[in-house]
Amino acid sequence: MKTIGKKLLLILLKLCLFAVAGLALLFVVYFFNLDMKLTAAMEPVLTWFYDNRVKRDQHL
Amino acid sequence: MKDENRIGTQNLGSLYTDGRVRSRREWRGVVDTAYDFSRWLHNWITMFRVVLVKPRNIKAMFRYRWMASYLAVPMMIDRHTQGLRNEHLRICHEEQDLIVEDVAKLLDKLFRGDRRIGNDKEFSSKVVLVDENEMQSIMMGFPTVVPLSREIASTYIPVLLNQRAALHYIDVAQEYGLAGDVCPMPEAEAGVSIDDDAPVLGCCAVQCNTTCDGSLMGNSVISKRLELEDGIPVFQLATPLRHREDDVQEYAAQEIRNAIAFIEEKTGEKWDWTHYFECAKRVNYATECRLNWLEMNRTDYPQVFGSNLALYTETNYMAISGRLKVFEDADRKISALAEKAFKKKRMAANEYRHRAIIWGVQSHYYMDFLVWLLNCWGIVPLTDMLSMVNTRMIADTDTPENREQAIYDIAWLTENMIMRNRTHGGYKVLLDELWEFVEEFNADMVILWEHMSCKALDGMHGMFEEKAREKGIHLVWVSHDLFDPRVISRQGVRDQINSYMRTVMNEEPVDPSLEILNDAESW
Amino acid sequence: MKDLKYLTWFEDLLQEANNELVVRAREEGKRCVSYICENSPEPLLNLDGCFSVRLRAPRTGSMEMATYYMTSFLCEYSRALLERAIEGGYNFSDCLIAPDGCSMINRCAENMELLHTMDKGKEHFFYEHMEIPMKADDNGLNLYVLQCKNHILTPLKENFGIDVSDAAIRKAVTEHNRVCELIRAIGEFRKGEKPVITGYEYSVITMATYAAPKAMLIDRLEETLEELRKREPDVKSPFRVRVALVGSEIDDPEFIKLVEETGAFVCVDRYCYGSFPGRDPITLTDDEDALTQICRQYMYRAQCPRYMNTAKLLERRSYVDRLAREYGADGILYEQVKFCDPWAYDRMLGSHIMRNEYGYPVLSIDRPYTVSGVGQLRTRIQAFIESVEIKKLHGGS
Repeated sequence: MKTIGKKLLLILLKLCLFAVAGLALLFVVYFFNLDMKLTAAMEPVLTWFYDNRVKRDQHL
Repeated sequence: MKDENRIGTQNLGSLYTDGRVRSRREWRGVVDTAYDFSRWLHNWITMFRVVLVKPRNIKAMFRYRWMASYLAVPMMIDRHTQGLRNEHLRICHEEQDLIVEDVAKLLDKLFRGDRRIGNDKEFSSKVVLVDENEMQSIMMGFPTVVPLSREIASTYIPVLLNQRAALHYIDVAQEYGLAGDVCPMPEAEAGVSIDDDAPVLGCCAVQCNTTCDGSLMGNSVISKRLELEDGIPVFQLATPLRHREDDVQEYAAQEIRNAIAFIEEKTGEKWDWTHYFECAKRVNYATECRLNWLEMNRTDYPQVFGSNLALYTETNYMAISGRLKVFEDADRKISALAEKAFKKKRMAANEYRHRAIIWGVQSHYYMDFLVWLLNCWGIVPLTDMLSMVNTRMIADTDTPENREQAIYDIAWLTENMIMRNRTHGGYKVLLDELWEFVEEFNADMVILWEHMSCKALDGMHGMFEEKAREKGIHLVWVSHDLFDPRVISRQGVRDQINSYMRTVMNEEPVDPSLEILNDAESW
Repeated sequence: MKDLKYLTWFEDLLQEANNELVVRAREEGKRCVSYICENSPEPLLNLDGCFSVRLRAPRTGSMEMATYYMTSFLCEYSRALLERAIEGGYNFSDCLIAPDGCSMINRCAENMELLHTMDKGKEHFFYEHMEIPMKADDNGLNLYVLQCKNHILTPLKENFGIDVSDAAIRKAVTEHNRVCELIRAIGEFRKGEKPVITGYEYSVITMATYAAPKAMLIDRLEETLEELRKREPDVKSPFRVRVALVGSEIDDPEFIKLVEETGAFVCVDRYCYGSFPGRDPITLTDDEDALTQICRQYMYRAQCPRYMNTAKLLERRSYVDRLAREYGADGILYEQVKFCDPWAYDRMLGSHIMRNEYGYPVLSIDRPYTVSGVGQLRTRIQAFIESVEIKKLHGGS
């Protein structure tokens, strides 16, 4: 029983550590604006796609 | 008035870069930064949950050029929360996060019904396309009908997110021969239609002549394709221009009856009075809240103002129009936060130097200009023209008399759509009432947005000047071209204030780092 | 061709807004009802005791004062009118009736009111701003009738004692129709391979019927019609192509002259101040009141782009096509005054549809209000004429 309890505690501890690490990582992304820096890098790719790969029926 | 205890609010200009995005987000102190972080997470989860997990929405991302602007959603929130702390930060998030979720759902629904993307015919048969510039009050009695606006998704929101979002469409419209002096909003909307970049769905559409001539005419370009090629019947809802006159109200009401009959015929759904009056109660509650906020703004401690007031009012008043309970809940929360902040005499910036009424049509590519005014020069934007909308309570209990009155109420709301309730209806609503508000709000300044393509506003230019001179009020003209930053850039907009404040008012900025910003490339 | 006997007289009437006939009519005690937009039903402005004058600003030079009040972003037509009003050029008016048809005209009229440009010292002067329908349907008709009652007939009666009864309206329609019939009959001479009236001459005569009291023109219109029946055409026509001129306000016949000097005969005048549809006679029956019938006909025949329902949108194109075929137009010239929003869109749509769906050569231009210094315009029209000639040579219709 004690061993199962210890194992559960260990798993819980590891999960907590992962969560904290994950949150910390997310906070870094948030604070240093990495999400916007990434999406800003995606914009020219999308624009190229729209200009060259999308067929449009352009007319009035 | 000064508040020198606001963490991380000095030198906000240092966050700007020459590129698309800021160097980092603000440090607002532990509590407010943790709160802002949690809301950032919430918004990303919302966007994933509602939009990004569905393959059809990814397909739409690669089909519609305007979808690229949605990459900038979190940055739009950053721009509007700049310098905010405590309750003001929470008020902004209450509003913006809700709008993010609502717009995410709009996109998801559009693509679900779009013939090119999801092609859900059953869903599409319950969709009624509505104009961007249209009060959705007409939908208050149709709980099972899905009103969707293609223009909100393709032009209105993208320009809020990305100052260059509409340029391609403006250029397309001009390539097809449209003169360059027309308002760029309907011009861009027409450009989207010409460029075959609008989702195709719905059983019918209801277009409206609000806001203006340009909007009315741009709709003709859109309806040509919609009705004659896509086979989606269109009802043009004509709303009187002289909306303050009694002798147009019957016309307006009959147009509403005709529009309701059209929707019933095309969707097979019947108008539901029970649902209508539920929505009407929410409309009245929203009006009550807005009036309370404006009442606070008349004091030395305004709480819901600037873009917190403007953007939220546009959404809640025009696009929601009482149809969603979640906005009623938001109104309640915002009011509670505002009351709390008001009791504590909270300030939303480091210094309040001037009390301003913001009049005219805002530059859509620079809506956070109101935030900048506050942070850079201590000019408090107490209220703006687009927030000075209907203050009348509408009938909200189900009786035979009220069912008749309701038609007139819907007509009244439609006539009093944001912006056009001032730009149309005669000079009194545009010119005379401004000075009444200046007095009510104890303002010492008017910031007058001069949207150069808005002929209804420009046509009163001289009269505004003469009245301002007569009343001894500082009137600062800020010219712009609504959707097109190539004509006057964001720095060009700021320079008009900077020059006035330095040369006429002989002041130095509260935050000098915000005076000149190299944000021409920014979203 | 031999000069028309009264052409100079008609031209003189257009030189000043306060022309000799306006002066004479006022001396006779008639009230001058000034108006701006074709959506104001003319017979109602020409009841016994009053006469209508559609405001124009001939020989406009600077518009500095109007530009101060209205900025340079508003259409030059609206600014020219305000400038002339500020200068006192419309002091002959006893009232102003202006529909809220487009923002620019509305602001023009409101500035005229706020600046007291016409009403100083006039006890009974009134400014009326009307709502007009945006769709041609039953609801629009009800609105139109009510607006005419409240903003034209009632103020005329209350301020000037004008008889606004059904009989009085019918009498005004009879007189209005006489002028329309004469204009239509004169216009028929634009048809055929060798027309005996130029587009310019026709525009002068038509415009005079907007700018001066109609009753005082009838005699000379009748004489002109008789003269045209006998007029010999030029042996060799100076014109190379025939065009239908479609678009916004043209209140200066010099523009028509400019077009015709390049070699394009203006056979159809489908513009504001033109005869289509402004000089269509009004048909009245006895089974309904005259006011409703007038409003119905004005509403359904209106070609103003602010009529936004799809049926009207399509009808504006088929109307141009019908006129072009009836008058033998080889091409269409779509024009708008600079900064006119409604016509900016309608010109774009109309040009594309008439070209791509109806197969007409189309030239689409925006132009300044005053005609002077328009070398570029002349060049563009000349190039258009050449393209139409080439198309004709290759067997195009």
